Amino acid sequence: MASKACHSTSPGSRGRKPSHIPVAGDNAFSASGEGGYVRKLLNRTAWFLLCVPLLVNSGEVVRKKNPDTGLLSWKVKESGLSIEFIQVLPDYVAAVYGSRDIPPAVLESMAGYCVFGTILKNESAQELTYRMADWRYVTRDGSEHRIKTKTEWVAEWKGRGVSYRWSLLPDDQVFEPGDWSQGFITFRLPPDSVFDLKFSWRYQGEEHTGTIRDMRCAPARPPGE
Amino acid sequence: MHLQGRRVNDRAARVIAILWLLLLAGVVFAQPAEPELGHQLNPVKEPVPAPDFTLRDMDDRAYSIRDLRGSVVMLNFWATWCPPCRHEMPSLEALYRKFSGEAFTVIGINEWEDPDLVFAYMGDLSVFPTFPIVYDRDGDVSVAYGVKGLPTTYLLNRNGDIVYRAVGGRNFDHPEVEKTIRALLEERN
Repeated sequence: MASKACHSTSPGSRGRKPSHIPVAGDNAFSASGEGGYVRKLLNRTAWFLLCVPLLVNSGEVVRKKNPDTGLLSWKVKESGLSIEFIQVLPDYVAAVYGSRDIPPAVLESMAGYCVFGTILKNESAQELTYRMADWRYVTRDGSEHRIKTKTEWVAEWKGRGVSYRWSLLPDDQVFEPGDWSQGFITFRLPPDSVFDLKFSWRYQGEEHTGTIRDMRCAPARPPGE
Repeated sequence: MHLQGRRVNDRAARVIAILWLLLLAGVVFAQPAEPELGHQLNPVKEPVPAPDFTLRDMDDRAYSIRDLRGSVVMLNFWATWCPPCRHEMPSLEALYRKFSGEAFTVIGINEWEDPDLVFAYMGDLSVFPTFPIVYDRDGDVSVAYGVKGLPTTYLLNRNGDIVYRAVGGRNFDHPEVEKTIRALLEERN
């Protein structure tokens, strides 16, 4: 309901600025009458407070750059799901796998893959599920690719005599309210590659899909080096 | 009168403008590294008996579900590389201490890691865990419990049935969690 109010004058402009927020040229501050403009300000502030969470929650992809590391992240909140992908440097992956007695075979197997840290959360009051086998990424040549799942990684490591099965995002999960997960997700791409990610999840009995365009693998070296 | 009213209005407008700026700053700059920890434990639709196991702590003391029957048990699957595991650990310790002397325990089940590594890690935490930490070196127990990601926590009733589950980090040091445990303690075997 509130969502409709916030976007009522701009059909089809999901996530765009609501019409109630004062903008340059708006006459909000020129209302006449004792206390009239304060009342209007309060009114508009209340609207803003109501609408801001919906703006953040509108399904828009929010791309950010970490000011300390220069690395990029992409975050989407929509239909109960919050999902965030964070660039991970190859050196960091090596450090994670190299510092915990994990056999070198695990790290060797990941050469040639670009890795993202992923945080996936059920932000609704109902069950939510996802299945990574349904997700695809589209490279610049237009071809669509499956994502190598945790099950496939674990099987490969097992073949190399390693029983390790952690740190990757699980293939599929049933998330009750408040449940969330984080882990690595891998794409068979060289550093700095750009691609579109198509992901999906199930919520309130319906399949939902989302696309993040122009996701970029972490560079081979830290930005600025 | 008119002038005074105008001044009040100006001040109110300034206050509102500052609130706007703070709000915008919050929206633009607040970017937590990971989600804030909630406290929700989700009831398992059809409680099932917790798979039995025998795992040992660093001092070679054995713990099994069979021996813990009659107590309410919180099983927390975790690892040192997992940031939310670190984040929630102090709240597990707080809960363990709050219910000390009652039929309640927390068991931390470390996945795959070497006890020496875990011990060093624990010394680095803001609160050193005093609840038992046992080692699932080959991951078999986590497979038996259907753990897909870490941390995952199960709450068992006095009969040894899994009655609540939480996937992902939580703040267990919360009145709602205490209430849930209290209710389970008051249930008859």
